[in-house]
Amino acid sequence: MTPLPGVGEEAPVQNRAPTALDLFMFSASAWLLHRIHYDTPFTIEHEGHPGLLIHGPLQGVYLVQTAESWIGDRARLTSITYRHLAPAYLGDELECGGTVTGSDDEGVELELWARKKEGTVTTTGKARFTKR
Amino acid sequence: MGVITDEARRWADREYPRFEMLVTAADIAKFAHATGETDPVHFDKDAAVAAGHNDVVAPTLFTYVVRMHASALVPPDQLEPDGSPTADVPPLPTRRAMAGETSVEMGVPVVAGDVIGVDKRLANMYEKEGRSGPLVFVEMEFTFTNQRGEMVARENFTRIYR
Repeated sequence: MTPLPGVGEEAPVQNRAPTALDLFMFSASAWLLHRIHYDTPFTIEHEGHPGLLIHGPLQGVYLVQTAESWIGDRARLTSITYRHLAPAYLGDELECGGTVTGSDDEGVELELWARKKEGTVTTTGKARFTKR
Repeated sequence: MGVITDEARRWADREYPRFEMLVTAADIAKFAHATGETDPVHFDKDAAVAAGHNDVVAPTLFTYVVRMHASALVPPDQLEPDGSPTADVPPLPTRRAMAGETSVEMGVPVVAGDVIGVDKRLANMYEKEGRSGPLVFVEMEFTFTNQRGEMVARENFTRIYR
């Protein structure tokens, strides 16, 4: 098996641009009823946003997928922490990437991020992978 | 000047009943499609069995589905106009919620047929002065276990009220 990536190595960037249908499916699958993810007039008129919001937890999943598809079977995701820095809206294309920031006998640690094309970082995270 | 009153602290620190959910293959497939997963282990039992699981396996972070059902699977008259569960609205002057930090430690995977239970408790509650007024941070700890009592995930989730 190929060895795990070393410190400084970067995951291939994944571009994610969820559609209104993707946002609705995510809300429906989780029974997340908050209208800011599917009701455009409500979101603009009552919440003051320019459009539907891409769920924070969906961005968390994108970070996990970016990391897991790179690391593959070499190690198992054992923990992840993520936080949201700026809102992401329907129509935004998010570039999701990551870098190895730590490495030891047990596994690797990654820093992860999702950012808009124009540069605004919307979500950052840290993930720990442990060798199987 | 604090905005966290004794009443608000009691509200956050109340007893939360354990919630249990039978996870079906359809629940897993919906979450997997919604997040763009294509690996057949999430959709096809044979592929999942070949990969060493008993049935189709849920993607990482599927426990989010369980904890959302635990708070939002209520009659419509127990929801706010914005769709959020009334039980989640704190007795605070700061009522608008946004997601803060999420931290998840992974245990054993979830497969179709599992009964996943979630126990919830207040981990921390504090306030900070933000640019536009006070911010209240409510950190909840969720422990997810399966029908065999195995730890599936432990999650700390902070909701920020402004």
